[in-house]
Amino acid sequence: MTDNRRHILDMLASGKITAAEAERLLAALERPAGATVMSESDRAKYLRVLVDTVDPLEGPTKVNVRVPMQLLRAGVKLTGFIPSHAREQVNDALRKEGISFDINNITPQNLEDVVEQLRELTVDVNNDNTKVRVFCE
Amino acid sequence: MKGEILPPLTASVHVRRAGWRFGLRLWLPLFLFWLLLLPLVLLALPFLLAAALIFGVRFWGSIRAVLSLLAATRGTSIAVDRPGSRIFVNLQ
Repeated sequence: MTDNRRHILDMLASGKITAAEAERLLAALERPAGATVMSESDRAKYLRVLVDTVDPLEGPTKVNVRVPMQLLRAGVKLTGFIPSHAREQVNDALRKEGISFDINNITPQNLEDVVEQLRELTVDVNNDNTKVRVFCE
Repeated sequence: MKGEILPPLTASVHVRRAGWRFGLRLWLPLFLFWLLLLPLVLLALPFLLAAALIFGVRFWGSIRAVLSLLAATRGTSIAVDRPGSRIFVNLQ
């Protein structure tokens, strides 16, 4: 057992970190050096939405939409320019609707994490007449 | 970061509707539109600056963010196919 691994397990045993944090740290240790930085080619570039539906009256319709992930990133960056008082107003409005979400938490770093997770995302909806597929590529 | 604030320069639009004999294929040079828009934006800059000061928004940061948003639309494509008709838009 390496020193780092033992140190993580010691911290877990002493209650300094949670089991989830220990798992994350151990996973990071197992990753080969340099693998933590995702190369540009590995990153998802587009969000694709494919809809294939059959309308009883008008026949089959296919919709194919490709949205660059960069658009999502740029949109989130715009939230950084919302004045602080307006942010509070937005948060209040969200709370009134029963949505406990703080838009101050939308940061470029958080967004990168979300985008990275989206890479693994595939949504398939199959209905009698409609098929919807959402994925990143 | 190269080309980060370069808006889409061209757009391809294909439209074909049921009953049309021929489809419509357009290649739109959007860069001409941006060139035409540039003087208007320059004229509006003092007003935008005043608004930014009044509302406490970072001026150059906002300009850069809007340009990034425009630039990020590059690569967007939308295609809708129905029997006999098709609409396709692609920004490049």
